[in-house]
Amino acid sequence: MTCVSRGASRRPSLSLLWGAVALVLSGALPAVAQDPDPLSKLDPSSKFAVELLIDSANTLGLPSDYLRSTALQGIALKVDGKRIVVECRKKFNLLKTAHAILGSVGGEELKAGASVLYAGAKPNQLAPFKARQQNRNDLEAFTIWADLITRGVPSEEASSAITKLWQDGADDATFYGLWNNVQSDILKGLNPGAAFQNRIRETPGRPTANKVTPPEGQENQSSR
Amino acid sequence: MIDSELDPYVEWIAREARRPVVTDQAARDRIMASVRAEPLPQRRPRLWERVLEPRAFRLSPAGSALIAAGLVGIGVLAGGFVHNRDGGLPVGLSPIAVVPQTQLPVSDTVVKFVFVAPQAGKVSVVGDFNGWDSTKTPLVRAPNGAVWTVELPLSAGRHLYSFVVDGSWSADPSAPLAPDDGFGHANSVKLVRRGSAL
Amino acid sequence: MSDDAADVQRVLAGDVDAYAALVDRYYDRCARFAIRMLGNRDDAEDALQATFLRAYRALNRYQERDRFSAWLYRILVNQCRSVAARRSHRERVFVREEALLLNAPDRTPNWSGEDEEFVQRVLNELDPLLREAFLLKHIEEMSYEEMSALTGVGVSALKMRVKRACDRLRERWERIKND
Repeated sequence: MTCVSRGASRRPSLSLLWGAVALVLSGALPAVAQDPDPLSKLDPSSKFAVELLIDSANTLGLPSDYLRSTALQGIALKVDGKRIVVECRKKFNLLKTAHAILGSVGGEELKAGASVLYAGAKPNQLAPFKARQQNRNDLEAFTIWADLITRGVPSEEASSAITKLWQDGADDATFYGLWNNVQSDILKGLNPGAAFQNRIRETPGRPTANKVTPPEGQENQSSR
Repeated sequence: MIDSELDPYVEWIAREARRPVVTDQAARDRIMASVRAEPLPQRRPRLWERVLEPRAFRLSPAGSALIAAGLVGIGVLAGGFVHNRDGGLPVGLSPIAVVPQTQLPVSDTVVKFVFVAPQAGKVSVVGDFNGWDSTKTPLVRAPNGAVWTVELPLSAGRHLYSFVVDGSWSADPSAPLAPDDGFGHANSVKLVRRGSAL
Repeated sequence: MSDDAADVQRVLAGDVDAYAALVDRYYDRCARFAIRMLGNRDDAEDALQATFLRAYRALNRYQERDRFSAWLYRILVNQCRSVAARRSHRERVFVREEALLLNAPDRTPNWSGEDEEFVQRVLNELDPLLREAFLLKHIEEMSYEEMSALTGVGVSALKMRVKRACDRLRERWERIKND
């Protein structure tokens, strides 16, 4: 670092100077040849904070690409650096929570689990997904679960129904079919809660123990 | 001394540490309560009052010259102090790069992105697979003029993406939504299984 | 006559409330130094209380040719050293960035609050003399000459302390990166 070389001698000899120049050039040339780090578009303070989070995620074995992608998306949308850091930190914490609950699952599933938490599911609602058959993947279930909450299906209803479907052994096609029907009904103008209740009843392996009641105001909106 | 030794990390620490702290008025009140319990500090004669007190002294010509030289020296030093005062933090230092170690699984699936936009002049897809760069993956308009498509090899896993239609971001109406955008915009999710196009 | 000097004269003339103006004017800045230096608010408040009380008692020795702020800071630096020495037996727990981030709250609108805690922990890890020099130089943004007048330490020694503080911080970051 410059600090060290400057502190070592007030008047460096010519050979030392050339050495320093060579050192700087040898370090600088490969950097020039590479693409600039896109995170450099952040202000230094935010960039440092994001890199620290990415570094910490790597240290903990969490999928840091989730955080990097968030930062890059924020940069692309010209979001303020501090807001990007807040968002990255939020996701870092969600990844940790998902990891604590789901245990040793893959990075993609951790990201999907974090996404469900982000949507509004409670951490304990993820717990049933820890017990799983070998080779069974919960990516589809988590993705549909998060989508349904995002579209306005009440979180408790979506969570209990998706969990029950999962526990009953529903496959990816079942989850996708449920989502396709619900979002189609929502696009037609149905209340999200009502659309979900209608479709969950006709889904194979649907929950039987939890009888759900239509949300208030459903009748008016679903009559269109 | 120029503070070029401050690298971005140190600079960040310094900048954050310079932020004001939140203080409590009650703590100031406690100080004033203690102060009021103290006797009043007694005023001492001011320096000029003491200096102007009449007193007799003798000064040789050599002594006068020494004092004069000393005063000039003090002036020069004081000027030096003023001009040597170290200023703010350096700018433009190269930042520290941290390479993320976590990578997605190796790509083995070609995914086709389709977006229907008859009126659009330009459509691209942005996502975690291209750094959310709208210039990297443009969609091509089909001959019928309404459908835009692009095929892209993606790694297996969960991908977030959006379409950028004439500069505006838009989720894919044919895919599940992801809540975790955080920037006031909903992305779409593409699940890619190894070896099977979705 | 500066505001400070005028307030000092009012106090010496018997107007104790004028001292409140001086406390208000300098408390926040002194508090920032004390908190950054001592690492916790309780110790910082002890140091601040002692600083302003001692300054009051010594007000008749304050010379107008000095800047009041520099004079007050000299007392503050000494008080912080005294408090640190008295409390040096306390166990200090230093937390790495990772541990701190693990404990960072989910709701994060208060950006400065979180970073304040983080930065404080980083500063706490520095040797007190290095921390003092770093704070005076880069947080209080004093010249080395001002720092020398304040601490009684030579300029070259202070430069070396600041440099070492920067080196320690940078080495710490390198360790984190390479873990």
